[in-house]
Amino acid sequence: MRVAASPLDNYILDALPQMERQRLFPHLKLVPMPLGTVLYESGATLRHIYFPTSAIVSLLYVMQNGSSAEIAVVGNEGALGVSLFMGGETTPSRAIVQSAGYAYRLTGKRLKGEFGRHGEMLHILLRYTQSLITQMAQTAVCNRHHSVDQQLCRWLLLSLDRLSGNQLNMTQELISNMLGVRREGVTEAAGKLQKLGVIRYTRGKITVLDRPQLEQLSCECYAVVKKETDRLMVPQQHARSVAPESLPSHTKQ
Amino acid sequence: MSTDARSSIRRIERNALLAGLPSAERARFSTDLELVPLALGQVLYESGETMTHAYFPTDCVISLLYVMKNGESAEIAIVGNEGMIGIALFMGGDSTMSRAIVQNAGHAYRLKAQVLKDEFQRGNAFTRALLIFGSALITQMVQTAACNRHHTVDQQLCRWMLLSLDRLPSGQISMTSKLIGNMLGLGEVDVTTATNNLSKAGLIQYDDGVINVVDRPGVELRSCECYSVVKKESDRLLAHQANR
Repeated sequence: MRVAASPLDNYILDALPQMERQRLFPHLKLVPMPLGTVLYESGATLRHIYFPTSAIVSLLYVMQNGSSAEIAVVGNEGALGVSLFMGGETTPSRAIVQSAGYAYRLTGKRLKGEFGRHGEMLHILLRYTQSLITQMAQTAVCNRHHSVDQQLCRWLLLSLDRLSGNQLNMTQELISNMLGVRREGVTEAAGKLQKLGVIRYTRGKITVLDRPQLEQLSCECYAVVKKETDRLMVPQQHARSVAPESLPSHTKQ
Repeated sequence: MSTDARSSIRRIERNALLAGLPSAERARFSTDLELVPLALGQVLYESGETMTHAYFPTDCVISLLYVMKNGESAEIAIVGNEGMIGIALFMGGDSTMSRAIVQNAGHAYRLKAQVLKDEFQRGNAFTRALLIFGSALITQMVQTAACNRHHTVDQQLCRWMLLSLDRLPSGQISMTSKLIGNMLGLGEVDVTTATNNLSKAGLIQYDDGVINVVDRPGVELRSCECYSVVKKESDRLLAHQANR
């Protein structure tokens, strides 16, 4: 049972062959990611790439009037900072820690150096970027056609997939920013789910009690993204070498 | 150089991505570029379909649409002569979840999948140009996702018209209400209401399936911020490429 944090807790890092691990791992820095931390703002020049191991980060788009909408969720399956290697240097969205935990951080300079070798890192990161694009595109369509209730379910499922356990520590404010609705809307949607016995929602904590029902109540968008992400990342997805229960316990604040 | 060769180069240069490449680099695969006509409504790729070619539009416009199980759809991005269709070929997926459909007829150069992949592997200007275009596409999708959450049908119609016009040399959009509805994820009735609103306001004329934008500044005012945000960022990214 592994108690110390390890880069292997992130799927992308875990998928790197031995030589690339040897080259990069010494330069990874483990950083704490407290709930609500803004990793970078929209338009900021990125300096690092982050590989979460236990934190979950939301990519949010913020309008001129301050209203926002979540575009994608990133956890231990992925990375934050794809703009670094896509060439844009800046990003359109704000990255904010939605669930506290840890991540490994690498400087942009090192990442670009590795990327430039056109080895496994490049291929994995590009495939991951395509899965991120899939999530973003699905969100765009979901926001056009589906209800807030369905979107809350989808978002809960996406988050759970990136966490060990069935509990999310969240503030109502964060959820309302994700869904782009007022707090009353969140209370209402969460209340419905609680009445159905799908979740328990108490001060700042959501516990999922009935995952199958949650999947049924979600729109198709959750399953579509999951299936495509699995397809894209499967060559990299080694069987999880660590059982969920034995992941570092410092995932919650 | 023969007149044919010269006019061929000029035509290739109608696609900005190809035009921005050093001529020596482009010469390596330019004989593999095949000019093809694309008809309105033609489906280049269905969701999940393995891509056989990359397409570089010269004067047509392609819509990337997501189609739900119940048939409802929404456009997630528009691609014209600033870019290409087929990012999955260099990102590794070989297929994507979206349907690529011709929204405005015209021509495109197509390149066999393996040729594109081989060129991408070289790590030269073409590689960088393709990646930067990927960034521009992400920008569009992010904006669309947020726009679909917060903005009105009228605003979204304006945004969509402006993005299309920027990619059309003619300044005219030929579309049926039904097709516009597919793009925006709306029924025909809502589309008709929206186009009527814009006509009444003197911003457009919509007759016989052709939209003429009569008052472009007016349309820009009516659009949400999403149009100018995407335009500004796309311009910045593509200038970034040209300066390398």
